[in-house]
Amino acid sequence: MTTETIYNAVGEAIRIEAGRILSDGTVTAVVGYAAARRNGSAQPVVITKPDDAARLIFSAACVNNLAVYLTKAKKELPREGRIGIVVKGCDLKALVGLLGESQLKREELYIIGVPCAGVLGSTLQPSVELDAESIADKCRECDDRMPQGSDFVPLVELPEQPALDKKYAAEIARLEALTPAERWAYWQQQFSKCIKCYACRQVCPFCFCEQCLCDRNKPQMVEGTPRPAGNTAWHIVRAMHLAGRCAGCAECERVCPMDIPLNLLNRKMARELKELFQSEAGFEVREKGPLATFSETDDESFIK
Amino acid sequence: MQKQIASENFAALLQALIDAGTRVVGPKRVAGTLLYEPLTAPDELVLDELPRRSVKEAFFPVCEDLLTYEKQGQEVQVQDVDPARFPDTVLVGVRPCDAAAIPVLDAVFSWDYKDQFFLERRARTTIVGLACTTADDACFCTAVGLAPDEPRGADLLLTPLVGGGYLAESHSEKGEALLQTHADLFSEPGIDQPLGLAEPQTTPFDLKKIKAWLDEHFEDQAWDGIATRCVGCGACAFVCPACHCFDIVDEGTEKSGKRRKFWDACGFWKFTHHASGHNPRDFQPKRYRNRIMHKFKYYDDKFGQTLCTGCGRCVRLCPVGIDIAGVLEEIEKKAND
Amino acid sequence: MQHTKQKHAFEPKIIAFVCTWCTYAGADLAGTSRMQYPANVRVVKFPCTGRIDPVFILKAFQQGADGVLVSGCHPGDCHYMAGNFHARRRFAAFRKLLEFIGVDLKRLQFSWVSAAEAGKWVEVVTELTERVRALGPMQEFKALALEEQWSGKLDTAELQEAYEAI
Repeated sequence: MTTETIYNAVGEAIRIEAGRILSDGTVTAVVGYAAARRNGSAQPVVITKPDDAARLIFSAACVNNLAVYLTKAKKELPREGRIGIVVKGCDLKALVGLLGESQLKREELYIIGVPCAGVLGSTLQPSVELDAESIADKCRECDDRMPQGSDFVPLVELPEQPALDKKYAAEIARLEALTPAERWAYWQQQFSKCIKCYACRQVCPFCFCEQCLCDRNKPQMVEGTPRPAGNTAWHIVRAMHLAGRCAGCAECERVCPMDIPLNLLNRKMARELKELFQSEAGFEVREKGPLATFSETDDESFIK
Repeated sequence: MQKQIASENFAALLQALIDAGTRVVGPKRVAGTLLYEPLTAPDELVLDELPRRSVKEAFFPVCEDLLTYEKQGQEVQVQDVDPARFPDTVLVGVRPCDAAAIPVLDAVFSWDYKDQFFLERRARTTIVGLACTTADDACFCTAVGLAPDEPRGADLLLTPLVGGGYLAESHSEKGEALLQTHADLFSEPGIDQPLGLAEPQTTPFDLKKIKAWLDEHFEDQAWDGIATRCVGCGACAFVCPACHCFDIVDEGTEKSGKRRKFWDACGFWKFTHHASGHNPRDFQPKRYRNRIMHKFKYYDDKFGQTLCTGCGRCVRLCPVGIDIAGVLEEIEKKAND
Repeated sequence: MQHTKQKHAFEPKIIAFVCTWCTYAGADLAGTSRMQYPANVRVVKFPCTGRIDPVFILKAFQQGADGVLVSGCHPGDCHYMAGNFHARRRFAAFRKLLEFIGVDLKRLQFSWVSAAEAGKWVEVVTELTERVRALGPMQEFKALALEEQWSGKLDTAELQEAYEAI
């Protein structure tokens, strides 16, 4: 079975389920994916009528993390009653994190988990076929193809996961092996492309602060201008604010119009927190992340 | 005037300009991403892809200093940036969707306030355009009244020839001047045929009809369906050749610092946020509505032009797949009903 | 211990973020005891290391610090019970991030200095100062502050002056 056939079956199951839960009043709205104008493209959609369920699809172009639409950063979504949401494994990790941070209540969600064999890394050309080249880097390291704890999962079997080069691990190792000066030069080259469009922040389910620290000017901790200095400070601050919370959906990296490898920062921090504090985000709903708690025996080898 | 230039001579032209101290800007890979950047050598030029950002930043920089201030005792010394310091520039490899946006921007930057930062750069820059022989399904220049060989905005337009080299047609005094100054590198057009031009597939929009709908439907429910998905970043506005909003801040300490002008976007929630806390565009659909209104109604009302050249960047790069051509199609359908 | 005053070509700027109840008191004790130590350190007082946001360290480097010290109460002795425990975790993570970005961690020091440890304060500050002196001025952020997007770049006399002034 090709991925396309599997995803078509998933899409069909989603359509039927969404129609059902909207008709019988289980939910007042469903956040899912619908086709867009370009051939093979998909875009987030919010449907409230059972008939609109026919618009829902699932394909390799369904890259968006829809969890962002449930956060308080998106006030536009109708939030009366229960809301259905289509999530891949990585998206579900974000929901788990949000539940832990009291941003969502489990009983307000109807989670439609999608068995996922991977999505495209880039939707610049959405009609591209999903293969070992076009698959997202995050999918190469995926450990959550069958979302656990969903309210509904289409009964579709996934083919065995092919062993693909783990690009993030390799790139992080490569950078760690460089000297500090070489690393600085690498990141400066990347950050110099940044234009402070904040696409990374706006698609992140965990960037839900009503006023971002970096938008404040009383006091101003991070320059607002898209000069290299302000860009570096912005990315450092964001990576730190996500440490221990980031679910690894890699949306930030995908949406960056300047191809800055942002998820490297997040994956590096995730690995450090796993090593330092045996903590990994997204697997269980927990009130306190690793940086909101402590142990009396935490490592202090770096402290005099 | 129409001339021809062989590939090697084109490279020699760029080298000659670089050697003469002119800033030559063209599509170049920067940390893997294709952007319009100053070239140090002709072989840095990459011409088979559309750069991620448009060429507007050659006139309207991502971030620029306007003045420096320094407090000395009770006095504040202010030093303005000297427009005479803007370097002479030649832009090369500029696609028609990028070049055509520059005359559109001329209107707003020389309107009630003559923006010297834009106009001085404009005066010192020559635009060498490049016609398109390929397009993807996000391109829609033909749908908004332009074409893959549209000369508008280009001082000199190059059209690729079969077998290499370009046809070079001047469309302004600056273009003429370039041909004259480097006449030894150009030859009379020969028998070489131009390569087939790109054929964007989108059906042309009836922009007048779309505008008529926009004139009457400010409060339409449709905006919710179109733009609830918008997450409010500035990606579309920043990569767009025609968007031109900016913010001005002072950065520094109370002792000294700089006043800077940098790109802003109507998609940001802060864009219309008042100091009182009130925000007239408090929900995202209202912010996205402004984008469409500005491009296809307000700019027409004010300057008789459309603020979109169909380059398709926003379509390709929108994090949530908002397709402006799809939105226009939807509006046109509503206008027809 | 006699401190011989030497003339150096480069005097590093060290910013120390310290907690009021332990390290600041320890530094105070060093002063009242007339202990000599390099005058390069600029002390910023916080109620607790738990209040120190990593962004302050970043800002210190951006504003021209050549080295940064963060110091507070020993674990278990925090005036606010657990502030330093949170800080310990936070800084364990943040220094890894800075290291990954390419900041030389030899310029960033963390320490526990109690109110009685005047000697330790002197030792920590002296060691950091001399280490940073040997490393030289921290050029990375200074150079970064002067960089512009190519479209806004101007080779002006003002920029050169600003570089010298940092």
